[in-house]
Amino acid sequence: MTEVGERMSTRTLSEDEVATLRHDMRTPVNHIVGYCELLLEDAEGPMHAARRERLEESLRAVRDALEMINASLSPGGHDVTQRDVDALYDRLRGPHARIMESMAALLAPQDRATIDAEFSADVRKIRNATEQLVATKRTSVPVEPAAMSTRDTARVAVSVPADGRGTILIVDDEPNNRAVLERHLERQGYTVVSAGDGATALEIVQRMSCDVVLLDVRMPGMDGREVLRRIKQDQATRDIPVVMISAADDLSTIAACIEAGAEDFLPKPFDQVILRARVGACIEKKRLRNLEVDYLRQVERVAEAATAVERGIYAAGSLAKVAERGDALGRLARVFDSMAVGVKAREQRLQDHVTNLRREMDEAKQSAAATGATQEPDDGALIPGELFANRYQITRVVGRGGMGMVYKARDRELAEDVAIKTLRSNAMSDDPTVVERFKTEIRLARRISHRNVVRTHDLGEHDGAYYVTMEYVEGITVRELIDMRGHLSVPSTLGIAQQLAASLEVAHGQGVIHRDIKPQNMLLDPDGVLKVMDFGIARLTEHTSTLTQAGMVIGTPAYMAPEQLLAEEVDARSDLYAVGVVLYECLTGALPFEGASPIALIAKVLHTVPVAPAERDGSVPLPLSGLVMRLLDKEPGGRPGSAGELRELLAELG
Amino acid sequence: MSRVLLVEDNEMNRDMLSRRLRKKGFEVDMALDGAQGVEMARSGAYDIVLMDMSLPVIDGWEATRQLRAAPETQTIPIIALTAHAMSGDRDRAMDAGCSDYDTKPVEIDRLLLKMNTLLSGA
Repeated sequence: MTEVGERMSTRTLSEDEVATLRHDMRTPVNHIVGYCELLLEDAEGPMHAARRERLEESLRAVRDALEMINASLSPGGHDVTQRDVDALYDRLRGPHARIMESMAALLAPQDRATIDAEFSADVRKIRNATEQLVATKRTSVPVEPAAMSTRDTARVAVSVPADGRGTILIVDDEPNNRAVLERHLERQGYTVVSAGDGATALEIVQRMSCDVVLLDVRMPGMDGREVLRRIKQDQATRDIPVVMISAADDLSTIAACIEAGAEDFLPKPFDQVILRARVGACIEKKRLRNLEVDYLRQVERVAEAATAVERGIYAAGSLAKVAERGDALGRLARVFDSMAVGVKAREQRLQDHVTNLRREMDEAKQSAAATGATQEPDDGALIPGELFANRYQITRVVGRGGMGMVYKARDRELAEDVAIKTLRSNAMSDDPTVVERFKTEIRLARRISHRNVVRTHDLGEHDGAYYVTMEYVEGITVRELIDMRGHLSVPSTLGIAQQLAASLEVAHGQGVIHRDIKPQNMLLDPDGVLKVMDFGIARLTEHTSTLTQAGMVIGTPAYMAPEQLLAEEVDARSDLYAVGVVLYECLTGALPFEGASPIALIAKVLHTVPVAPAERDGSVPLPLSGLVMRLLDKEPGGRPGSAGELRELLAELG
Repeated sequence: MSRVLLVEDNEMNRDMLSRRLRKKGFEVDMALDGAQGVEMARSGAYDIVLMDMSLPVIDGWEATRQLRAAPETQTIPIIALTAHAMSGDRDRAMDAGCSDYDTKPVEIDRLLLKMNTLLSGA
């Protein structure tokens, strides 16, 4: 025996250890006595003499065993060393052999004719209990449980081999059981950590990565079922397979544990083959689960990357690790990354365009200031300082359109600046269904929330006229910008076009067609951000019948699609036609069609193909010129199919 | 016929003891853990409870305290059964409110004597 072995064998067991050992040994004794007596009661009469003899012999043997146990492990008796325990096991072999022999005889073939199923089942129970009596193997464990856990944890934390087979946590209050399992599992190449109680076990699974937990059901304090419940309750530990350590006969507890999430159970006494198989299966399961969790985490990374792209904070290559995968997820990450990088490049280009636009705006403002251009108020306009509709204090006139005046005003209820558009009563349809449709459209338009759309607040009626309140945007209209600059550069035009397409894509998605896209309705704030206003308002000027009616030219025929002029079906593509006119005007400073009268203009819109922008100005790139011509197609089907498609096409142009 | 509630988590013990008691003419119901034991004892009219002390959910000591605390189960005789057989266990069991105490392995005649004594109110 080694020096260490010698020290361990002479070590004195604690009172608790002795009590546990006594309990574990008396339990099978109890079963053997009980079943033997039970069978004896049934084995009355001369027919069963031989059976009685076997059972009585077994009872004598088990009582001898009990005496040995009581003598070696008496409560409050002399000190018990590991050597004493080993000696006790040796002595128990005698009674063990006697009982096993009797049980074998009771199940012998010549007796088969007389034995029933219940009898043989009971004999097997006695046999199992007898095996258990000597199954608690002698060992040399004993270190104080808590100290052992700490020490082992510390050791494992620094020394888990990368290629190790896995880390197993053994939780058992019985030191001998822990030692047996530790020895078996370490021999099989696992890293083993032990805990002597539930609380320590929970602390360990929280602190380190365990692949399997072997958990004793019955422990003082927090029992195995409670430890299991807590492991399964915690998101961080729920995936660790737990194998319950339990007496083989304790089926109800085992069933309850499996229902509570235990993977399997390990019957006492431990069978090496079963132990290896169950632990191996659990380790494999945990490995697969780790792969699955890893996969899900990487899927999450891709989803996070998508959010980052939306917020404009995606950093190229941040999916590099996922992209390394050889599977479909890896491919998705690679494709996503290259798309996101593309999107970012486009956004950068758009930003460049907007910067360019701002520069042009600044230059335009400077020249406007030099020539002293100002907005002239209309006759009959509201006067600054006047309270309108009992709520809005007029600040100043900001514009004048075909339908009425636009003012900046202070909303006294909400204490914020708003723009108020008053709608002249003679500009409005008197058809109640048209008015109703207009109100519906305004309600829809109120729902549009996009940085390129002027937010519509409310529709009101005051003194018999409608007015619309909306977000107040400090800035100039594209109309003013074109007028001041003559025409705009290609980058500025693209900056406007892309923002315009984005605003329409959102509005169309909400079921709102603008119907009156024109430079006067397009504001540019000081940062070059385009804000399209008057969504839904054009509904008001629609009339139920034809061209020839008076008032039809209210609105802006130069920007109207042929189908709109003909009062045919109007859809999203009619707005795209108007975009074509706006872009044409931005690039060339001229409208695609000019007419001496509205009728002459309308005739051209309906029948004449305009001169391409590139033909008018050689600096306009052909693809952009071609796209503008497509937008101006007389047939809606010849134009891009949607604002989204237009946005894509513009992005491709740069 | 006396009604016995056997609170025992070990299936072999339950099987064995219930069969033996039934043979002796008792009507036996079984609870698998301390909490179930308390619940059943409260709802059913049992004449005596045989309580294993190391039980899951709540142990036999606590179950006994709970039964003693509730008016409807305050007077029901409880016999503690334990395989620990530690010195002091008997006193602990009596302190917790048990009416008597016995060790496992169960000696059936001794247990029956204790049961009958308690059931006859002696």
